[in-house]
Amino acid sequence: MRTPVAVQAGQQLPAREVGPVTQTHIVRFAGAGGDFNPLHHDPDFAAKAGFPGVLAMGQMHAGMLASWLSDWAGVEHLREFEVRFVAPVFLGDVLRFSGEVAAVEDGVAELTLAAVRGEEPVIRARARIVTS
Amino acid sequence: MGVTTVDEVAFDVERGKILEFARATLAEDPVHTDPRAARAAGFEDVPATPTHVVVAGHHRDQRGFVDKLGLAYERVVVGSVTWTYLRPVLAGDHLTGVRRVVDDVRKKSLRIVTLETEYTDQHGEVAVRVREALIERGAQS
Repeated sequence: MRTPVAVQAGQQLPAREVGPVTQTHIVRFAGAGGDFNPLHHDPDFAAKAGFPGVLAMGQMHAGMLASWLSDWAGVEHLREFEVRFVAPVFLGDVLRFSGEVAAVEDGVAELTLAAVRGEEPVIRARARIVTS
Repeated sequence: MGVTTVDEVAFDVERGKILEFARATLAEDPVHTDPRAARAAGFEDVPATPTHVVVAGHHRDQRGFVDKLGLAYERVVVGSVTWTYLRPVLAGDHLTGVRRVVDDVRKKSLRIVTLETEYTDQHGEVAVRVREALIERGAQS
């Protein structure tokens, strides 16, 4: 097993920028995950549901946020990952993932994470990882 | 409130699907796509990305379970999801996930149904636990 990352409270995680989100991101995720709700690929259906266009499934950017986290921490060191969906994500959106170490106790770090579009959060998240 | 089983899925965790899901979530760690990198990092096989069990969507009736809960499909959104990891999911695992209702509350015009799925491996051990809170908005008057 790989050595867990060493962290300190207050430390910032290396940020990642994703996007602009395209229909290709969405259909690739639909195929991977099995979410074929037409809201995510049929513009007419999305318009009838009252949206300005197709929207990404929350699990897409939640999964991107999680993979960004595990790229940094090592997937074997994740203990918990929680996302709250704050706003929908549309085609053309550019997302920025960032995070901070909120606390470290008994070899476990509590992280506060977010995905934002400009200044607006689309996901608020937290995680617990094993640290060295 | 009695515990209600919503649905049950069973699937094999496969290297190809791990790679697809890793690409779809922009994972860069080569352990998810290269068996040699995985072994060098100490894994017995390729590990899945953190939210991989979302692939259970391929094995579920996405509309059927919403109907079963008595929720209006067009007014339901996922509010939050929590993954608890007991061990990494690896290619070659066989997972069974039983999804149950663990909470069902009303807050003003919202109904919030919390579901929990325990993904149990071929040895009967839980690998991952997923909690999802579904929010149903009240019908517009």
